[in-house]
Amino acid sequence: MTSHKTLKSWTMINSRLPLTSVVLAALVAGCASSGVRNPSGVPVTEMRADERGFVAGTGIESQDIVRVTDKMAREILSIPQIANAQGTPRIVLDPIKNDTRFPINKDIFLTRIRAQLNSKAQGKVLFLARDRMGTLEREQQLKRSGQVTSSSDPNVVEFRGADFFLTGTLQGLPTRTGAGISDYVLYTFQLIDARTSDIIWEGFDEIKKQGLEDAAYR
Amino acid sequence: MLAGCATVDRKPAVPLTGDIMIDGPNAIENGPERDRVLWQYRTAAAAMRRGEFELAKRYLDDALLTLGGIYGPNESARKARSLFRPESTKTFVGEPYERAMAYFYRGILYWMDGEPDNARACFRSALFEDAGTEEERYAADYALFEYLEGLTSVKLGEDGSDAFERAVKASRLSQLPPYDPKANVLFLIEFGIGPTKYATGQYGEQLRFRENPSAPRTAAVTVGDQKLTAGACDDLYFQATTRGGRVMDHVLGNKAVFKSTTSTLGDVGIISGAVLAGHRGRNSAADEVGVGLLAAGLISKLFSSATTPAADTRTWDNLARYLTFAFLSLPPGEHAVTVEFMDAGGRLIPSLTKNITVNVPVGRDKIVFVSDRSTTPQTL
Repeated sequence: MTSHKTLKSWTMINSRLPLTSVVLAALVAGCASSGVRNPSGVPVTEMRADERGFVAGTGIESQDIVRVTDKMAREILSIPQIANAQGTPRIVLDPIKNDTRFPINKDIFLTRIRAQLNSKAQGKVLFLARDRMGTLEREQQLKRSGQVTSSSDPNVVEFRGADFFLTGTLQGLPTRTGAGISDYVLYTFQLIDARTSDIIWEGFDEIKKQGLEDAAYR
Repeated sequence: MLAGCATVDRKPAVPLTGDIMIDGPNAIENGPERDRVLWQYRTAAAAMRRGEFELAKRYLDDALLTLGGIYGPNESARKARSLFRPESTKTFVGEPYERAMAYFYRGILYWMDGEPDNARACFRSALFEDAGTEEERYAADYALFEYLEGLTSVKLGEDGSDAFERAVKASRLSQLPPYDPKANVLFLIEFGIGPTKYATGQYGEQLRFRENPSAPRTAAVTVGDQKLTAGACDDLYFQATTRGGRVMDHVLGNKAVFKSTTSTLGDVGIISGAVLAGHRGRNSAADEVGVGLLAAGLISKLFSSATTPAADTRTWDNLARYLTFAFLSLPPGEHAVTVEFMDAGGRLIPSLTKNITVNVPVGRDKIVFVSDRSTTPQTL
């Protein structure tokens, strides 16, 4: 009887063991499943500038810059004052205004538009290197003083004046509620006639992004 | 086993020397990834006070990149919400007042570099971090950030009147002067000791902010025969404590309830199981039930002890408490400036006095950052 009782007790305990094991296993499995994702990091991934990467916020990102500047460059080439111009119009870049909540290197927009036009416009427009005037003037002085050679008369001013100014403005409208945050950015660019101050072209693009941070950050 | 599960970041905390300019870079480079932004904030603030603005820029830029990318699924944040990981598992980006200050400092640095539009963007983002409070009247209510948003607009040749009106409305501590477009030297001044965090509640699940005693209450800027006194525009302790509850507080509250309940159930199971198993014969059903209850009680206690509802008390602990400004017109060239701090009774605190040589450039505004913890003398 004693051995039978003992056996029965063990049987009962053993019958509970699976339950206990399941609970423990669930606990262990729970810990294991919440293991570190990408524990070894993510290898450097080369991405196209116009694609949304796995690191993203609601701010101004490379894909936005590519999209906006591609659109502006295309539009500039199609306006009559450029497409049908007699002679080659000269353009000077005037820094754009950042009126958003995102600090950015704003020159990047005009730099990319200029590069797009220079590489694809086949000489329909030319940009003047006003941001290099200091260097250019020093070189001119060296030529005038005879310290370096000159292929033309260094006393004749050949720096060209602008026909147009290309500039723009970035404006933003942020919203934050319990449902998340939203950032709308309006990108506008203008080509301004340097002689008359007419805005001969204005192009725009707009991008709205929304996101919600993890509850741990709310 | 459970303790092992709770360990997420394998990098140990770095040993500290007490010198932020050694500890900060060391922790950023070698410390746990989750604390990286915390140390970047701290080191940037210390660098600002030493006039090492390039270093401050580098750390703030990296920290703000992390801050700007917290949207969507986040592994460390998910773990911080789980029952068995503490909140401090998550990558630190700070509470809204800390995030706002990171943008504020970066805005000062942009303005110093002659980029008022990017400075304005930072002041706007600083305000944006304070939006979404439980009570609408406390949302985005930093008087100084609003004021500076308007002032940068004026400096850009735009209209700053809306921002000025909002600043006046938000201003609780001092009367704001109208913009003076001719003023070319702006002093941005901070003083006092910012709030620190602590946890309260049965399991430390409730985040609270401690008000630290701050002797200086006003600052005075003296240049030649010009003397300007500036009272505080904003109080970071006020900002930290007027946001209302966090969503994470509910998560931690639930964790605490789970911990408490499983602990109680464990106690009941263990005691009941022991009583049943001990008072009856070994062959009885009660004995078997008792053993089962004992096992269940132990497991419940295990769950309870593994549950970590503690609030994250990591703090940007070298922040100032009060923020203010003073602006004046000075001709280009070198100027000897004295910045003094006074206590609540208007008495000078001589140990905090700063002597600064300010070089005012031609055709550009000069932005001068001064803290009661700045090194002195400085040439800016």
